Amino acid sequence: MTTTVLAPLAPVGPPQAPRRSLGAGSPLLRFIIVRFLLIFPTIFILVTMVFLLMRTIGDPITAALGGRLNAQQLAERIDAAGYNRPLIVQYFEYIGQVATGNFGTAISDGRPVSELLLTYGGATLELAFYALLVAFIVGIPLGMVAAYLRDRWPDAVLRIVAILFYATPVFFAGLLLKLVFSVWLNVLPVAGRASTRTELQMGRLDNRTGIYLIDAIQLGSAAAVADVLQHAVLPGLALGLLTAGVFLRLVRTNVIGTLSMDYVDAARSRGVSEYRLVRRHAYKPALIPIITVIGLQIAMLLGGAVLTETTFEWKGLGFKLAEYLSARDFVAVQGIVALLAVIVALSNFIVDILAAIIDPRVRY
Amino acid sequence: MTSASNNKRALAAVAGSAVFALVLAGCAAGGDSGSGSSESLIVGTTDKVTFIDPAGSYDNGSFAIMTQVYPFLLNSPQGTSDVEPDIAVSAEYTTDTEYTVVLKEGLKFANGHDLTSSDVKFSFDRQQAIADENGPSVLLGNIASIDAPDDTTVVFTLNNGNDQTFAQILSSPAAPIVDEEVFSADSVTPDADIVAGNAFAGQYVISSYDFNNLISFEANSDYQGVLGAAATTNIDLKYYTDASNLKLDVQEGNIDVAYRSLSATDVADLEGNDSVNVVVGPGGETRYIVFNFDTQPFGATTPEADAAKALAVRQAAAGLVDREELAEQVYKGTYLPLYSYVPAGLTGATEVLKDLYGKDGGPDADAAAKVLADAGVATPVALNLQYNPDHYGESSGDEYALVKSQLEATGLFAVNLQSTEWVTYSKDRTEDLYPAYQLGWFPDYSDADNYLTPFFAAENFLGNHYDNPEVDQLIKDQAVETDVASRQALIEEIQAKVAADLSTLPLLQGSQIAVTGSAVTGAVLDGSFKFRYGSLVKG
Amino acid sequence: MTNTDATSADPASFAARAPRWHHLPVVHQLRQSVGLQRGMLVVGLVITGIFILTAIFAPLLAPYGFAELQDENGNFGAQQPPGGAHILGTTVGGYDVLSRVIWGTQTALAVIVVAVVLSIFAGVLLGLVSGYLGGWLDRVLVVIADAVFAFPTLLLAIVAAIVISGGQSKLLGGVLAAAISITVVYIPQYFRVIRAETVRIKTEAYVESAKVIGSSTSRIMFRHVLRNATRTLPLIFTLNSSEAILTLAGLGFLGFGIEPTSAAEWGYDLNRSISDVTSGIWWTSLFPGLAIVLVVLGITLVGESLNDLADPRLRTRRKADSPTATPIAAPDMAATSATDSTGAPA
Repeated sequence: MTTTVLAPLAPVGPPQAPRRSLGAGSPLLRFIIVRFLLIFPTIFILVTMVFLLMRTIGDPITAALGGRLNAQQLAERIDAAGYNRPLIVQYFEYIGQVATGNFGTAISDGRPVSELLLTYGGATLELAFYALLVAFIVGIPLGMVAAYLRDRWPDAVLRIVAILFYATPVFFAGLLLKLVFSVWLNVLPVAGRASTRTELQMGRLDNRTGIYLIDAIQLGSAAAVADVLQHAVLPGLALGLLTAGVFLRLVRTNVIGTLSMDYVDAARSRGVSEYRLVRRHAYKPALIPIITVIGLQIAMLLGGAVLTETTFEWKGLGFKLAEYLSARDFVAVQGIVALLAVIVALSNFIVDILAAIIDPRVRY
Repeated sequence: MTSASNNKRALAAVAGSAVFALVLAGCAAGGDSGSGSSESLIVGTTDKVTFIDPAGSYDNGSFAIMTQVYPFLLNSPQGTSDVEPDIAVSAEYTTDTEYTVVLKEGLKFANGHDLTSSDVKFSFDRQQAIADENGPSVLLGNIASIDAPDDTTVVFTLNNGNDQTFAQILSSPAAPIVDEEVFSADSVTPDADIVAGNAFAGQYVISSYDFNNLISFEANSDYQGVLGAAATTNIDLKYYTDASNLKLDVQEGNIDVAYRSLSATDVADLEGNDSVNVVVGPGGETRYIVFNFDTQPFGATTPEADAAKALAVRQAAAGLVDREELAEQVYKGTYLPLYSYVPAGLTGATEVLKDLYGKDGGPDADAAAKVLADAGVATPVALNLQYNPDHYGESSGDEYALVKSQLEATGLFAVNLQSTEWVTYSKDRTEDLYPAYQLGWFPDYSDADNYLTPFFAAENFLGNHYDNPEVDQLIKDQAVETDVASRQALIEEIQAKVAADLSTLPLLQGSQIAVTGSAVTGAVLDGSFKFRYGSLVKG
Repeated sequence: MTNTDATSADPASFAARAPRWHHLPVVHQLRQSVGLQRGMLVVGLVITGIFILTAIFAPLLAPYGFAELQDENGNFGAQQPPGGAHILGTTVGGYDVLSRVIWGTQTALAVIVVAVVLSIFAGVLLGLVSGYLGGWLDRVLVVIADAVFAFPTLLLAIVAAIVISGGQSKLLGGVLAAAISITVVYIPQYFRVIRAETVRIKTEAYVESAKVIGSSTSRIMFRHVLRNATRTLPLIFTLNSSEAILTLAGLGFLGFGIEPTSAAEWGYDLNRSISDVTSGIWWTSLFPGLAIVLVVLGITLVGESLNDLADPRLRTRRKADSPTATPIAAPDMAATSATDSTGAPA
């Protein structure tokens, strides 16, 4: 959740774009290649960081058995598992594995990390989808309304609402929603991705995708689809409204920005109404930066879902990350963070390329 | 689920579908009719599985599954903590160091493989061969060798003869019997292979397995053990991480049974609710304060080392804690005061601390002040007290804030209370960094020995430098004492001696609590601390 | 007004005619603002002011200590509903809710101060050096900053919390953990902003002329470039502050926060109220949660208003200004989107 607020802070422009004129040939192509190559050091640095950090906060054996075994027994087991070999040896061993595409096997439950990523990645993707949908449906129209009525009271109200959306920690929102919808009104499930019955039905599917909405549709059961959607309402709203606050602001400022451009002024002087100005002239140009920001938002939704998923027991990557972290499962945490790093780096890359194609000046 | 709530849910789905721009909600009310017949019921838990291979895990969550699906040589029938032969006809010492088990004839795993003495030997040999860092092989330290002279006979040769805990160990997490044709002899077998191999021979088999999310059990008609046939054919086990979600679901009838672990607030709330039953059983879980004999005030390595003063400090603390208040305010009665080392409900339990310290089980500030004054200890005694917030339940913080307040109430102590996350905590406590600290215990098997040997024998897991050769000898003696009454006397004597030394200060004993829908019967919580799904019936 | 500076107003043009204290950030913007924009800024400043005052006077305002379980009448009792001696009730641990909410402002303020000070120093310095000197150092720092930015914040915070405090839960350790982890995440942000400004400014005429007259590199960096590059800082500053509070609360909520007898911390109280909520006990979660929301709201209102006022297109014009008074020279697409999406001109 914290990262979704952070996300829009990142300048969309490519900071590492080559700054000088690139001479003959295709500058765009060259830019794309350089930009692509920069993905690798980013991922490498992240993986190294998470590797080192995880080694400083304890080992999985103490985490599991610290309350049962004496110090000597623990030390023997840690020794046998090889966790007290020199860090550099362990590091190169790990990097060597990753380089060959082998993310290893989670220590605490023995599951291959690549399988984990597939199983739980779908859930996170699904949540991100719902959240983005909410963010679009709520954020963009309200942002346009705020821009249209700028500096009048509805604008102020909308802006405060937007701030409230992201000033509310998702776990507090979760508690409030639980209190209202599940305890007082008793109308919506607050946790999980589907009821037990639906999950059992989906368990019988041969080609489960892990994305419940798709699985429920595969089942061909309207009740299952409704059940999955019911479960998605609260987490989708909680994370979506957070993002909607960001979108609202973004749309408002960009529409206001384009409204003050020369061609809009020209239209205004022709007597075009303000409403029409917003709808017809200022809307599209304002959307371009938004599209680029969405790229970043997706990455941040994935990375920042720890609290949302934990609050709503949405068993996705963020949820598992928190679990593996408390089990000090180096391998699993490294694997999940590496995947997030790849996604973030790739979406940054795509965003930069898009920005460069849309506006050549970005390339400097 | 009532139809009223169904309608509300349908309404909510309509509202939700507006958000999702999908027009699917109209049919919401139709399908989801009731939570099923008496053929199946749903259990919810916040425990977690690590591995369902007995060699790979040593935790409550995994053992809860093993209890349902694997057979044991010895097991406790429902309602008692005493063990009887499970898939065996007899189990006894044939010589001082030889423990012989005779299996029933014609046992089979659910996959059709024969279950013979060879599987039994395999099960224990692999535990010791794998000795997984997260496994329970440490419990099998007394086994020297295992022989399978014929298909139904297994002979365990022990290092220390007449081990009175051995029968209990054969029902512990180290002892499920597994299929040698499915399990690997030298490595932990992945869950998927076990489920695919259908290598089960307990009351249930696992029919579908969605790791830490949903497990479906199906009754095993081949099971011939002491627990009898399962009453309900299908059991689904649903995993939660947040106890409050588990509570909501059992309250609303979305699941039929909630077992481990609801918060005290939730239990107190559900007790007043007619749609559920709260089932309470004796608990083996204990909570206590450990004193480090080296670094506690006046401890052996402190500058002002003085064994008599150190003892006085421990005794004063023992006289000041108010266990009733802890149990009531913090745990709302889901924990009970614990006045000795072996918890109530087990053979040999006493209330020796009640007699030695405080007044009628409550605190006695005057006596505590006198103990300190007599020993010449200046007050207030500065005490660094550590607890852990993330391993022994979320109420630990409240519990220790209250302990601090109790110790400081009359100015005898000045407590510096700190908490540390679990992994660091586990390391630091054995490195003598904590003069006094919180720990808890969940037993491996239901025998008083499991509350004494791990704590007070010479090589104990506390590592708090408590060393009383007399106690050590008594612990060794009780382990091989074949006469039940003499053994009980020894166990009581050990507790009295430790209570005088106060190596640890026991505070609370947990209860086992299951919450069931009002139509569910057969939830049995006994001194074996195993919760069997086989007896659950709905409707 | 320099017409190369498209995205932010030049405060110098206002500052030239005003008394010295009018130059101060915030005061200057407050004078500059009108109408609703001024209203939002004032509301934000008032909330923030109340927050700071509450933190300072917490010992006087709070009816009880943050770790107090009893008074002369004995234990408060757990989960007492609001009313009587406890206006907002008591928590599951038996603390007074109102007192813990009030004392919590101190912890929150401490985290903000430490986090902001740390990230400004580290981020600004790195950005300045990287942007001014350029070359391979610049490239390397940019890549590292990007990588750190992609790291899941909360994971970083948790790990930092464990490393910094040794897993302990004292006030200082908890505050430092939240502050430092937020710093690590925010350094890249300050770094990027300052670096971009530095890259832009270092080609300007006055810097060139300083070079010509032989000023030393460090003198140019700190005298000329830094002074002009830091205009945008108050904006990130406020985002940084609210983020610090949210991180502290997140850590507390996940159980890596501060022990309740060491300090009052809202995230911890929320964590402990989870099971209250399902039993219909609302007062233990509502008030600490509202405290978080209000403080973040106040600080963000200030930040957003400052952002608007720094951007000529977003600033509400005074009546005297003609609508076209602010020329926008070559609005750079990337810079615009960055500015608008960030709340901080890049």
